[in-house]
Amino acid sequence: MVTQTHTTIPAIEPQAEPNLTYQPNVDICDLGAEVLLVADIPGARASGIDVTFEDGVLAVRAAVPPRELPGRTVRQEYGIGNYRRSFRLGDGFDASQISADYKKGVLTIHVPRLAAVRPRKVEVKTA
Amino acid sequence: MSLIPFRTKRSSGMESGSLTTLADFRNEMNRLFEGFFSRTSPASPWFETVETGQWLPAIDMSESEKQIHVRAELPGIDPKDVDVSVSEDRLVISGEKKSEKEATGEGWSHRESHYGGFSRAIPLPESVDPANVTARYDKGVLMVELTKSPTSASRKVPVLTAK
Repeated sequence: MVTQTHTTIPAIEPQAEPNLTYQPNVDICDLGAEVLLVADIPGARASGIDVTFEDGVLAVRAAVPPRELPGRTVRQEYGIGNYRRSFRLGDGFDASQISADYKKGVLTIHVPRLAAVRPRKVEVKTA
Repeated sequence: MSLIPFRTKRSSGMESGSLTTLADFRNEMNRLFEGFFSRTSPASPWFETVETGQWLPAIDMSESEKQIHVRAELPGIDPKDVDVSVSEDRLVISGEKKSEKEATGEGWSHRESHYGGFSRAIPLPESVDPANVTARYDKGVLMVELTKSPTSASRKVPVLTAK
């Protein structure tokens, strides 16, 4: 905890970041018609996952309930906290068609491109 | 198109407040430490041996009066592909994480998740009864509960004196 001793030093507001947050491991796949993001967020509840897309930035936030093990802790290798990560995808995506599903601790997000900017295969005609 | 994860206030301009930068720095340090300890553990003398596999799931372990509880992060794994075996003093969690989108082939631009086989042998702090173990998989987390062997309870040893 930082104590404010001078007016020039801003105090850290603990309520702004109550818990540790972690960046999930994410795989990204560009399938042409859509971009697929696959994020590992084990332990989260589907109802606690928040996916937003604004100004070309896809943001993922996931609340993870405390993972308390009974008894005395012998080993702790992974952090306990919420997940948070954002990606700047840019323009050309159809925000209304973004879909996400959560299975086995993995969040899969489909971000479809707008039809106008999707890559199209052009048929070459012969005379 | 470019896919650039933003991590700092400077690069994104999306967040406000110095805590964002601090939190990101902390996240990076967490990742570095986690990566170091979980992926290079064969070199750590106090860690268990690695049998096979390319990656190691992270675990938590706790001990109560009669049980030992182990929790492993195994996101994206079919419970059918997880094998849990127990000997008196060792728990082995092994299996394979398959990439669901491998069939579609091309298009991956960025990969951070671990795929393929894994096997982790975890020494247990006390002997357990191999016949009395439960394993449950939920939301990417494997929870194993082991019951301590009754013979492992501490005994008072009488100290004999020489006559």
